[in-house]
Amino acid sequence: MNFLFALAAAALFGTGAYLLLSRDLVRMVIGVVVVSQAAVLTLMASAIVRGVAAIYPLPGEPISDPLSQAMALTAIVIGMAVTALLLALVLRVTLAFRSRALDELADSEAERDLRLERRHASTQDSEEAAAR
Amino acid sequence: MTLLALALLIPWVSGVILVVLDGRRRWVATLAIVALVATLGCLVAVAATAPDGRVSFTTGNWPRGVGITFQADALGLLFAILSVGTLTAAATHEVLDGVREPEFPGIVVLLAAGLSGVFLTADLFNFYVFFELALVASYVLAVYGRTPRALGAGLVFTAVNVVGTFVFLLSVASVYRVTGTLDMGAIGARMASADPNASILIAVGFFVAFGVKLGLFPFHFWLPTVYTGSRPAVAAILSGSVANIGAYGLLRFGGQLLPRELELAAGALIVIGTASIVYGAVLAVSRRTASEMLAYSAIGQVGYVLVAIGIGGPLGFGAAILYAAVNALNKTLLFLTTRIQGPLVGAAFVIGALSVAGVPPAAGFVGKLELFQAVHQNPALVALFVVGAVLSLVYAFQIYQYDHWRRMPADVPSTRRERAVPVALAAVVLAVGLWPEPLLAFSQAAAAALVGP
Repeated sequence: MNFLFALAAAALFGTGAYLLLSRDLVRMVIGVVVVSQAAVLTLMASAIVRGVAAIYPLPGEPISDPLSQAMALTAIVIGMAVTALLLALVLRVTLAFRSRALDELADSEAERDLRLERRHASTQDSEEAAAR
Repeated sequence: MTLLALALLIPWVSGVILVVLDGRRRWVATLAIVALVATLGCLVAVAATAPDGRVSFTTGNWPRGVGITFQADALGLLFAILSVGTLTAAATHEVLDGVREPEFPGIVVLLAAGLSGVFLTADLFNFYVFFELALVASYVLAVYGRTPRALGAGLVFTAVNVVGTFVFLLSVASVYRVTGTLDMGAIGARMASADPNASILIAVGFFVAFGVKLGLFPFHFWLPTVYTGSRPAVAAILSGSVANIGAYGLLRFGGQLLPRELELAAGALIVIGTASIVYGAVLAVSRRTASEMLAYSAIGQVGYVLVAIGIGGPLGFGAAILYAAVNALNKTLLFLTTRIQGPLVGAAFVIGALSVAGVPPAAGFVGKLELFQAVHQNPALVALFVVGAVLSLVYAFQIYQYDHWRRMPADVPSTRRERAVPVALAAVVLAVGLWPEPLLAFSQAAAAALVGP
């Protein structure tokens, strides 16, 4: 049981990490969601392996710790809020850059940096010329 | 006890109300500043009534260990006062300059609620909840201004930190599995009997989560984009108050919850800290704009904190706490000076630069002095700190020369309102450097609280 939970959490984390590294922003958000599920599963597994869920305890049977179920609920709610925020952010970025692929985002960033650098160099040159 | 509860309730309640109001109106922004100052006042009052800390209350009058416990000790109070203080300064600067987005004042107040919660809680899961509250507020702040650049920076910041917090949550779950408690006072003792394999994995999880927050060397990749892409006030908030969570977390979790694992990893921490110092300083020297220089400088400066934590003991922890505090002040001051000019701005920048390099009479000198005291038996580290200080002098004054010695044709001096906060902060940095006794005593008390009896 313990091993199964560990395996499932590890698989979720791995899948999430793989999705996070992809270039599509929506896939990245899904990756974050999957990683959060790995954390929630670990939270639940930290108590459930000790007995059955505490919703209807029978005498003589071990029951699991309900506290970690409560924590898992909180974590799910927080995860949902963060996911909503991330999606809103992705929407804004998509509208601003007209693209949701990360490499295009990086390209436009690099372009802007190059422009900035050129402007700096030209002001420096003109200043040096003025000083002479 | 009431004061401690008020320090959490004031920003929480007022933040929720303010966030739905239009913050571009003057009275809303003023109310936010009032709420921040009231929070700061409560925290200072708690510190004044109980100088050695140890004020605590448990929600709903449950016995400790059952209900959620809040506890103020010297370490938590120092970081709470520092973070809310720098947050107030940066927010005041932005309000005087003119708020650009309706949600800014409310979000800043909610951030204050998250920060004081993180620093004052004694419950591990509650720490996670306030950690998320503070971070969600800072995600919104990172896109403040809504320029394409800030949006890109905000996306990077959010994605990296969301994953960091889930790694943190994984470690929290593992701690509960191993020790069966969430009380931060009891975890340290119970971790002693834990399986070393599990406890080392837990410690690594916490280290990654806080390292991401601080922007330490292998986790720094997000930092330059974010600090240069956002507005000066937001960069000041992120580096001066939000990054404190990382330093506090490393101290609290390393020093109190997982002391054996910290000892085991001391060598690795010193190596990572050294890498941060060298990497940050060398890249900062090669930068030409103030915000880029400051971003890389921030990576270098947290390296000193990590090295001091690696040395450990009352001396090392004391130096780490003091240096983290001084660094937060420096970064707030310097980021706020980045886009303004006019009389006294250059002087404010110089005081910040001297403080970063550790030259008296600025506050940074006291921080560097404590660091040298902590490492004086290790010649290699002394040499590293000297080289780091010299490099920081070079990069800071290179920017000073470039930004403040030249007269640009289009230069318009900033208004007095824009210059007020940076100049006041420079005076604070100078005052702390000239009369360091209170901060020194406070940080030593905090280190003592951490090492314990």
